[in-house]
Parts: sequence; C-alpha cells; structure tokens
Amino acid sequence: MKLQNLSIKRKLMLITMLTSSVALLLSSASFLIYDLISFRHLLTQDLETQAQIIGYNSAAAMAFKDEPVATATLAALKAKEDIVAAVLYTPDGKIFAQYVPGDKAAPAVVPPKLYRTGYRFEGGYFDVLHDVTLNGEHVGTLLLRSDMREWSRRAKRYALIFFIFVFASGLFALLLSSKLQRMISRPILQLEDTIRIVSANKNYEIRAENTYGDEIGRLMDGFNNMLAEIQQRDTALLNANDQLHARTEELEREVAQRQQAQEELLKAKHAAEEASRAKSAFLANMSHELRTPLNAIIGYSEMLEEETRESGNTEAIQDLQKIQTAGKHLLSLINDVLDLSKIEAGKMTLHLEIFDVPPMIRQIVTTLEPAATKNSNVINVRVAEGVDSMRADITKVRQILVNLVSNACKFTDSGTISVNVEPITAEGQDWIRFEVCDTGIGITPKQRKQLFQEFAQADTSISRKYGGTGLGLAISHRFAQMMNGHIDVESEPGKGSTFTVLLPVEVKSEGQESPSSETTLEPAKPPRPGASNQDTILVIDDDATCRDLMSRSLNKLGLNVILTGSGEEGIELARRMRPFAITLDVLLPDRDGWSVLHELKTDPELSSIPVIMLTIIDNESLALSMGASNYLVKPLDRERLAVLIEKYRAGRSSKSPNRNSSNRTAEKREELAPTKA
Amino acid sequence: MTVRRLIIFIVMMMLGQASYAWAQDSEASSEYLIKAGYIYNFAKLVEWPATAFAQPDSPIVIGIVGNDPFGPIIDKVLEGKKVNGHPFLIKRLKPTADVKECQILFIGSSLGSHVADTIRLTRGTPILTISEIPGFADRGGIINLTLEQNKVRFEVNVDAAKEADLNISSRLLVLAKVIQQSGDGRKTE
Repeated sequence: MKLQNLSIKRKLMLITMLTSSVALLLSSASFLIYDLISFRHLLTQDLETQAQIIGYNSAAAMAFKDEPVATATLAALKAKEDIVAAVLYTPDGKIFAQYVPGDKAAPAVVPPKLYRTGYRFEGGYFDVLHDVTLNGEHVGTLLLRSDMREWSRRAKRYALIFFIFVFASGLFALLLSSKLQRMISRPILQLEDTIRIVSANKNYEIRAENTYGDEIGRLMDGFNNMLAEIQQRDTALLNANDQLHARTEELEREVAQRQQAQEELLKAKHAAEEASRAKSAFLANMSHELRTPLNAIIGYSEMLEEETRESGNTEAIQDLQKIQTAGKHLLSLINDVLDLSKIEAGKMTLHLEIFDVPPMIRQIVTTLEPAATKNSNVINVRVAEGVDSMRADITKVRQILVNLVSNACKFTDSGTISVNVEPITAEGQDWIRFEVCDTGIGITPKQRKQLFQEFAQADTSISRKYGGTGLGLAISHRFAQMMNGHIDVESEPGKGSTFTVLLPVEVKSEGQESPSSETTLEPAKPPRPGASNQDTILVIDDDATCRDLMSRSLNKLGLNVILTGSGEEGIELARRMRPFAITLDVLLPDRDGWSVLHELKTDPELSSIPVIMLTIIDNESLALSMGASNYLVKPLDRERLAVLIEKYRAGRSSKSPNRNSSNRTAEKREELAPTKA
Repeated sequence: MTVRRLIIFIVMMMLGQASYAWAQDSEASSEYLIKAGYIYNFAKLVEWPATAFAQPDSPIVIGIVGNDPFGPIIDKVLEGKKVNGHPFLIKRLKPTADVKECQILFIGSSLGSHVADTIRLTRGTPILTISEIPGFADRGGIINLTLEQNKVRFEVNVDAAKEADLNISSRLLVLAKVIQQSGDGRKTE
C-alpha cells in the first residue's frame, strides 16, 4: 500500500507517531548515551581508586617481596564482581602476584612495560595500570582488569527500560493522535461525504455544513460557493437546453416544411419533365403535320415545274422554283427542329455502318458548290493519304459537314473555304479530323461561348441577315458527342474561322445497334420473275395528296399504279394483283403500317415482294429489321424512288451493298441541303 | 687532589676485594643484598620524630655494631638513596661507641649475648634497632630479620618501637610478625 493512498486519518496518526517517536527516541537515546558515558567514567574513576588503594596497600608487600600478603591484598578485590583480573608486576615486568576470581584461567595479560600507566579498553575489558610506589619509589605495577559488568548490566537494563518507555509512550501517542486527528480529519470526511452525495445524486442544492473557522472551513466555504456557481450554471444550462429544444423543434418544422417544398419541387420537376416530353412530342407531331403539307407543296411545285417546262412557259418556272426553294428551306428548318427534339427526348439513335470517306466528301462538296458560287467563294478540298473508310453514322457525319461547309459559304464573301481531312492518332485511338476553314467574318470569343448552344446565333442580327435557325451547330455538336467525338472552333473576328471535327475511325456502338443495312438493303428474296405483275405497283398511303403525287410520278414511269388508303385493303390487293413492288406508309387509318409490313413479310406468297417504306416518321432501322427493302422519308424524292422502282422492276441488283448504302442515305439526306438548286 | 686520588684508589681496591669475597659466597651476598634493601624499605615505613634530625636533610645514620655481614653491599644499595629528603650515612661502630647519633642501629650477630646491653644503650632515643639474632624482637629489639623457608621475613616489636617514639606504618606491620612484649621483662601486656 502506498503511503500517498493512506487515508488522512492514518496519515495524521502516522505523522504524529513518527514525530513523537523520533523526538522520544532521540532524546532518550541522547540521555541514555550520556548516562552510560558518565557511568563509565564513574566506573573508570572507581576502578582507578581501587587501583590506588590496592597499589598503596600492596606497595610494602612488593617492597618486601611478600607474595602472600600481596596476593591477600589483591584478594580483597573479591567484593568487586567486575574485576576479572588483578596482577602485580615487579619493576622488571615479572608477575609478582595475581588474582583471578572463580575458576577462570588467568587472562593473558600484556606485560605492563609495553604501555605506561593509565587505562585502556581492550577486547571488551577495561584495564587500569597503576604505578605502585613506596615512598615515591617505583616498586611495581598493578593491573586491574574489569569486564565492565556493571556497565553492560546497566546498559541492558536501560535498553529494556528504554524500549518499554518508547513502547508505552508510543501507545499513548497513538491513543492521543487517534483522538486528536479527528480535529482535522472529521471536517474533511464530512466534506468528502457531502461531495459524494452531491456527485451521486447530482443534487447541487446540498451544502457542506461548516462550523469550522480554519483552512478546512474556508475550503468548505469555497466548495459551497462552487456548488452555488454550479447550481446557477446548471439552471442556466437547463434554460439553454430548453431553448435549444424549442429551436430544434422549430428547425424540425422548418426541415419538414422544406421537405414538403422539396417534394413539391420534385413534383414540379416531374411535371416540367412531363411538359418537356409533351413539348418534344408536340414538336415531333407538329413537324410531322407540317411536313405533310410541305410534301404536297414541294411535290406539286416540282411536278408543275416539269409540266411547265414541257409547255415552254419559262416565266412560271422561276416562280415555281422559288416555291420549291422556300418549301425546302422550311423543310430543313422542320428537320432541324425535329432532330433537336429527338435529341432532347433521347430518341436519337446511331446507325453505325462502314463507309468510304473520300466519296462522301466529294459528294458534299458537289452538293454545296452552288451555295459557294453564290457568294463568289472557292472550295478547296484536301483529303490526306490514309483517309479511307470509317465506321460511323454516315447520315450524321454528312449532316455535320454539310452544316459546317454551308455555314462557311454563308458567312464568307469572295473567299476561300478549305476542307481538310486527315487521319490522326491521339489518346491511343485512331481519329479522322475534318477541318473546315473559311476567310469570312469570324466569331468573337464572346460569341464562341454560345456557339454550340441551341437557338443561339452569334448575333440576333445574323439570323436576319444570313437566315438559318441557329440549330445547325448545336445539332452538329450533339451528333459529334454521340459518336464520341467533338467539334472545336478557332476564330479571329474579320479574318475567318476554323471548325474542327474529330471523330473516331471506329465509333463504338452504345446499347442497341441498328441492324446492318448491308443485308437488309438486299431484297429478302429475289422476286420471282413471272410470278408478279412486272408493271403493277401498289401504293398504300392514307394521305390522298400523297397518293395522287405517287400516282402521277409513277405513271410517268409507265407503271400501272394501284392506290389504296387502307392497310387491310392493301394486303388484299397485294394478294390479288401481285405487284412487283409495294410502297407503304406507316400511319394508316385502319391499322399500323408496321403490322401491315409484318403481315406482308410473313405471308409466304407475298414475302418476296419488295416493300418500300415511305413515311414521315424516321425509324429506318425498325423498318429494315422487319423486312422492308427500302426506307424513304417524305417529302418524296422522286428520282430516288424512280431508281429503286427501276431496280425492282428489272428484278436485279448489281450495286455493292456499301455503295448502295452510302448512296441511299446520301440521296435521302440531300433534302437537307437548303441551297440545293 | 693527590690525597683524594689515593683514597679513591684505595676504596676501589677494597671494593674489588670485597666483590671478590662476595663472589666467593654469592648466596650469602644475595641474602644480605635483600636485607640491605629491607633496611632501606624499613626507613621508608618508619617515622622518626622531628627531633631525631637536626636538619630536614640530615642523613639517616645507619650504625652497624658487632660484625658487619653486609660488607660493601649495604653501601652500594643505599648509595644516593633518600627517604623523605634524608640521605643515608653508614657507620660501622665499636660496641662501646656512642649509638645515640644513629637513627638505625644494626646489631651484628656477633653481639649475640650482649644484645640486651646494646638495646639498653638506645633506650630513650628514637633509634630503630635491627638485628638478625634470633629472639631479638622478644628481647626488646624493634625489628628482627628472620629466614623462613629461605625467605627473609621480619618480626616487629611494636611496643619497643613505641617506646623509642618510632611510628611504624601499618603497611609494614601487615608484613611483619608482630611481637608485643618488650625485652627485659618489661612487657606491656
């Protein structure tokens, strides 16, 4: 047990006991030592006196060599118990007489001549040497040897008394200190009790009872003050806690309100999204609805132009061409809006195929040559070595490039437009870089920021001056992104712009991939010659205008055209008339064009007849996967249709799938070029 | 000077003869050497009255009457010795000579029969009479030297000492054979 862990009571007792014991021991010991020393001195003196007496008494005997008398004189020492030897030496150092009490052997006494008279302590004995003289003359030497028996007996007795005394006084001190220590320990214990109660019950109203005026009393006062302070703070803390509770509840309410608001916001967001979807759907529908009349406008104006040209009325031709141009421009706007709404609705999909890049470039340039000439611009094309085929959505690549080149033509006057194509390798991947440079008005840095955003032209005045929807770059940007590529622009206002399109040579498909057009381009089975009517073609379309246009243009090709607006009737007619080809619209009054296609393609008798889908809805991949031979989007490209009809009519296919593919899409998208003459 | 030289020479010669004689009888000389020492010790333990000495440094005169058994030994023993400031002077006396100037009188055994007369001569004066004649103390002598078992012992007649106004130390008496009757029928008790 450590000293510091002792209770105060024990410590106090220990201190008292230690102090008193040490004081007692020291004083007793010093007294004892003093007494023993003085007693020894007394004994020494006594012994010396003895020696003097014996010496005196034996001097004559020594002088007269009377040994018996000397021995008798020495024998007188018998009364002295502590004398263990008495020896008389003649002057020449011989033992003359000696006395040894009891049966003890004579002690080996050193001849006195070795030391002079006096006394010494040696080997536990006290020796006194006395010069024996007779009338001043040295006659011998007396040795008295004492064992200091008296002294040691006294010392022993003293020790006993000492220990009894110390023990008794210690006991008394213990009794006293155990009583007296309470004076100090009791108030401390009281204080401790109070502290224990306070901390056990957490009750700060309890106070230590203070009846003491000493330091402990002040300690208690201090403790009481501290308790008061704690109590006060406790109260304050409780109040604060209550306030905190109130505040917490408030906060909780606030949180609940916010949550509600959030839910409402979420609802609003869903509603907004729904509205956005509705908007997209509306836009798509609107475009569709707009396209149908446009179809009629463009179709009829073209037919009129042809007829007018035949009749030789050249004045009307120009007007009709203006109608056509306006119509096609409107169509391109609608197409852009449609594309954008599709992108926003997430319905834009990629149709990946492998195609050759150089022919595509040539075709684009050829197409846009008139637009360039219009502003006195020259188009320079440079296709670098190593640029070959790529796998991408050719329609979208073409659309991007057409957009960029036509923009360049549009914003450049009497300048040069350079189209550079080169292969590069970056980030461990092969890319093709398309670069379109012009020497036109350029773009300011401020305009550049908004360049690829929807409905944002460099300046609002631009749309007035140059026309356009402002959607072209935004769509191009989105398309490039969809193909894991990107578009960048560098420009200096007044000096020209450089648009760079970077596309992977091999675009990775995401999710569903459109079925390869290579196989579907081919008729599922070659038509059986003779089995079908080589001059008869069936047109299934709900729109009467469209039917009329079809009928007119097909009649011109010398075909027998059967028209119907109903899907059911169409199937019936197909069975009966056995046409060599069928054109099919998707939107039919009685049933879905898709189901009609399905039925046609699953009928063993009819499955061999090629079906050309002719629709406003852009879902080529679905059509091709369901067995359609071709897919044409309204407004109808009559030249393209004519080529197809001729192909199926002859019942042959000579073109390679790839060439066929690029041609087909190219032809289809030629409508996009607004400036096409 | 020449006379003194002659005397010293003579004394030397005599001493040489004496020592020769002592050597011839060493046992006897040893005994008298002891006895001479005893005489010296007696002088220490006997107190003379103040009237016995003319001066405090007057010598203690030792008179030897009768035959001298000591020879030069006693002179040798006592030479240069002093007791209470008194040196010793040894005189060899004729029996008829006056003994009153002596403090110690040694009576040789040759006076055996006339010892009482000699003692009588000393009466009234503080003279310590010493002899080795058997019965000397009984006959009024103060100290008689005896031989017991080849050891020299002595008898003291305390009454005679008292009569001679000599105070004999108790320490001497302890060693002595005390005789308490004086010679010549003059017994005290």
